[in-house]
Amino acid sequence: MNKIVFTGPMGAGKTTAIATVSDVPPIYTEVKATDAEVQQRKETTTVSMDYGYIVLEDNTRVHLYGTPGQERFSYMWPILTEGALGLVLLLDNANDDPIADLRFYLDAFSDFIEKTGVVIGITRCDISQKYSIADYQAVMMEHNLVFPLFEIDPREANDVKVLLHALLAILQY
Amino acid sequence: MLTDAKKQELEQTLKGLLEQADVIDAAVVVTVDGHLQAMAQKQDYPLERVAAMGSSFMSLGDTITAELKMGVCRNIISENESGIIVFMHINDSMILVSMTTDTSALGLLLSHSRIHAQKMQNML
Ligand SMILES: Nc1nc2c(ncn2[C@@H]2O[C@H](COP(=O)(O)OP(=O)(O)O)[C@@H](O)[C@H]2O)c(=O)[nH]1
Ligand SMILES: [Mg+2]
Repeated sequence: MNKIVFTGPMGAGKTTAIATVSDVPPIYTEVKATDAEVQQRKETTTVSMDYGYIVLEDNTRVHLYGTPGQERFSYMWPILTEGALGLVLLLDNANDDPIADLRFYLDAFSDFIEKTGVVIGITRCDISQKYSIADYQAVMMEHNLVFPLFEIDPREANDVKVLLHALLAILQY
Repeated sequence: MLTDAKKQELEQTLKGLLEQADVIDAAVVVTVDGHLQAMAQKQDYPLERVAAMGSSFMSLGDTITAELKMGVCRNIISENESGIIVFMHINDSMILVSMTTDTSALGLLLSHSRIHAQKMQNML
């Protein structure tokens, strides 16, 4: 089964990305956020998973799973990456410290990334230009990782497809 | 989020639940997005983690119930080799998770949990 997992901090656009490209109505497990800090940014949050799938040009069906972002749901991460081909990591450029977020998720998913691969999408670049692709690339170099990085808008189907194709391309090698 | 006074009230109700139904070993109240609000236990369980897991589980229950158009998810029962766990909504922002190591106590666990969930609903 072709399965790809979207992860990254809360608000980076995982749920949006899956909904944007899914060929079926996506399955959400969104509930209302009760922390004031989260409520400021959005009303709901994913507590279990997102799911959808996309049929690619060559007719392969790729199943898309999204994780909850917050660390308290980290027990869902190994459950969702089980048997997956690779990881899409979304980072919110307008977050407090997206560079720390990059380090955190590379570390949390390091075993899985080592076995498979990752592509990184930097979101909300229209809201904040705090960091550039080069800044994120520098962190990747520190970790001796060479994987694709893109600025994307998860509300744009083409942007999300670029990530999926890049991931599938690197996984072929 | 709840005030400390409300959390204490919830905690008293959970204590009452564990006293009234002797077989119940632990119970927690958690927000639908996984924040522990109150707990009571007779053994040392990792209830902070259980709370977050309870919210994931309840949301899957709600999601599958909606998918199959079966109305509201009343409760989710997890029957295990050495215990039973029950998950139910208190209201649309709070969940009760209760558990017993007595594998024959499902009825008791369900009915007492339901009564106390109702109590807490009125309280909130
Ligand atoms: N302006 C802007 N909004 C975005 C962008 N990416 C995501 N969003 C919005 O930010 C929110 C992200 O929420 P969500 O997809 O639930 O994030 P999740 O927590 O990662 O699942 C949604 O309201 C999106 O419409 C972006 O690149 N630009
Ligand atoms: Mg989400």
